[in-house]
Amino acid sequence: MYEGGSRSEGAVKKFMDQDKRMSGAEAVARFVNDGESFVFANCLTGMPLALVHDLIRSGKKNLMLFQQGGIEEVDLLISAGSIDRLAVAYNFRMGGKRVTPPLDRALKEGRLQVEELTNFTLLAMMKAGAMGYPFMPVLRGMQVTDVVKKQGFLGRECFQEVKDPFGGEDVLVVKGYSPDFALMHVQRADKAGNGQLWGAMINSKWAALAPERIILSAEEIVDTDVILSAPHLTIAPAHKVCAVVHCPWGAHPSELAGFYDYDMVFRALYFASLNSPEAMKGWMDEWIHGVTDRKGYLERYAGKFGKEALEAIKAKPFKSVPADYGYSFAPNWDEKGYSDKFGMNLDELAQFMEEKGILREG
Amino acid sequence: MGVRYTLDELIVFRAAQEIRDGEIVVIGQGIPMAAGVLARKTHAPNSLIVTEAGLVGIDPFKVPLHIADTSCTRGYSYGCDMFDIFTTLVNRGYVDVAFLGVGQIDKYGNVNSSYIGNPEDYEMRLTGAGGAPEFAGHSKRSVYTMSGGEFVEKLDYFTTPGYVDGGHSRYEAGMPEGSGPSALITTKGVFKFDEQTKEMYLAGIHPGATVEEIREQVPWDLKLADPLEVTRLPSEEEVRIIRTFAPDISVGRSLYVELLTRRVLDVLSKAAERKEGVQT
Repeated sequence: MYEGGSRSEGAVKKFMDQDKRMSGAEAVARFVNDGESFVFANCLTGMPLALVHDLIRSGKKNLMLFQQGGIEEVDLLISAGSIDRLAVAYNFRMGGKRVTPPLDRALKEGRLQVEELTNFTLLAMMKAGAMGYPFMPVLRGMQVTDVVKKQGFLGRECFQEVKDPFGGEDVLVVKGYSPDFALMHVQRADKAGNGQLWGAMINSKWAALAPERIILSAEEIVDTDVILSAPHLTIAPAHKVCAVVHCPWGAHPSELAGFYDYDMVFRALYFASLNSPEAMKGWMDEWIHGVTDRKGYLERYAGKFGKEALEAIKAKPFKSVPADYGYSFAPNWDEKGYSDKFGMNLDELAQFMEEKGILREG
Repeated sequence: MGVRYTLDELIVFRAAQEIRDGEIVVIGQGIPMAAGVLARKTHAPNSLIVTEAGLVGIDPFKVPLHIADTSCTRGYSYGCDMFDIFTTLVNRGYVDVAFLGVGQIDKYGNVNSSYIGNPEDYEMRLTGAGGAPEFAGHSKRSVYTMSGGEFVEKLDYFTTPGYVDGGHSRYEAGMPEGSGPSALITTKGVFKFDEQTKEMYLAGIHPGATVEEIREQVPWDLKLADPLEVTRLPSEEEVRIIRTFAPDISVGRSLYVELLTRRVLDVLSKAAERKEGVQT
């Protein structure tokens, strides 16, 4: 993991292959190493849960997660033994005091170290990292809270106070972080990895740009022409993306605009498994280890809930009016080879350059 | 017979009264969102609901599971991201009210949504801070709702600043002058904060609640407003709006879980029946 600051050119790995398509299993096998840090470039909605399952099946371990906010994935990764450090702003909790989820059990048993953050401070760490800044000012007043006062496993590599060089007052800052990789799910991408996401944007832009590389899954793989017609929707640029995984229903049971709603019945079954290690193992054996990929998961789903269960949560259209990127697109040279701007054709331009003496002998 | 309502519906209704027309309101999931929507459908149609997901001007058609789900994102006026919300709106002082649910609160309106139990050996982790500290720290007012939480002398974990140590301490810590919690709505009453000391006092009680039972829940010597406001009950129409929008909240948490469990069993048994039907 790279920690803040500027770096020399060339240290940044670019991923410029034209075709990065591969399976989720291959992506995590090739691009995830034990002990690395990562972040989800989605929060709550559109979560890359198929990639989470691939990561768990891969058996990678001792990972550190920067978790902005989510519902399933933290408890799954803890139960699988994939992560042992967690910097977290928000984690959904179901069931109140009667339920002891895997996160609570791992804390009790010392299997997990945490660093508590707020939504804003965690995202500020990512944004500073994304921009190559060593630190970032955050909102005033937070130094009175235990979020800042009580240090987790990041210790003092988290919050500090500095003097505002202009105003002289103390300013709370967070350190910039660039995790090793991000897992991200989007609506569509081309095979080079230009990932397009829309809907609630939450943390996506900065969590995608902070890490060294992005493992991307997409509902649809589209022709690059589609990307070129709507560049404002590209949130994961190809030069950061190391793998593209075509994965319909890749965010299930979370929701994805334009594709499907969250699946509350499925989630309820999952929630019911949280309270005991045995039930959690049973759930994971059934839905993660019992299948090899998302296709198998969907077949199992259809077998258990019926095919129509997924149909019921499919999205109805709510179309955005397309942006018109049009201009006259007048070329330099018209169909007769004449330039309206220069008032001559290409031969006449060569003649003109000859006369001015700027052409050299080859 | 008068209007029939649940305690959670009453909290939603009373909390909605804290929103004024035309205000920019940041809202968390659950009861606060139901209150915000009720306000927009009744006395505050021009208020602007914002969530930290980067959604501004949302008009959810049913109560969201979380702050970015499918019910929030059908038609909103400004789509930015979480960083923009906390900097360009919250830090610049555009937010009038933050509406947040509360797990544990002390007499200066500081809130815990992180850990419960002895700080050396916590019993359980709650959701964590989320957006609450900065929202409550920098909105002009914050309004808390508490359905299942508790009043404590000292928080198990200090997540979100209210009036910190009382008096002027919140502003000395760097939060905007004049900002701070303005009301807490529980299942029994309405609490506000003394202008000078910033200590929480009882401002009103709901019909059917007594001062004695409220005092039993509060570990400090709770002062009372004179006179105490008695909470107006919602009209049938207002209850209908709440129940239509947020039946999950109307029934309360445990009945919601019961209904959901019933639904899961139903879906599974129907699917199993169909499977048998196919095989035979």
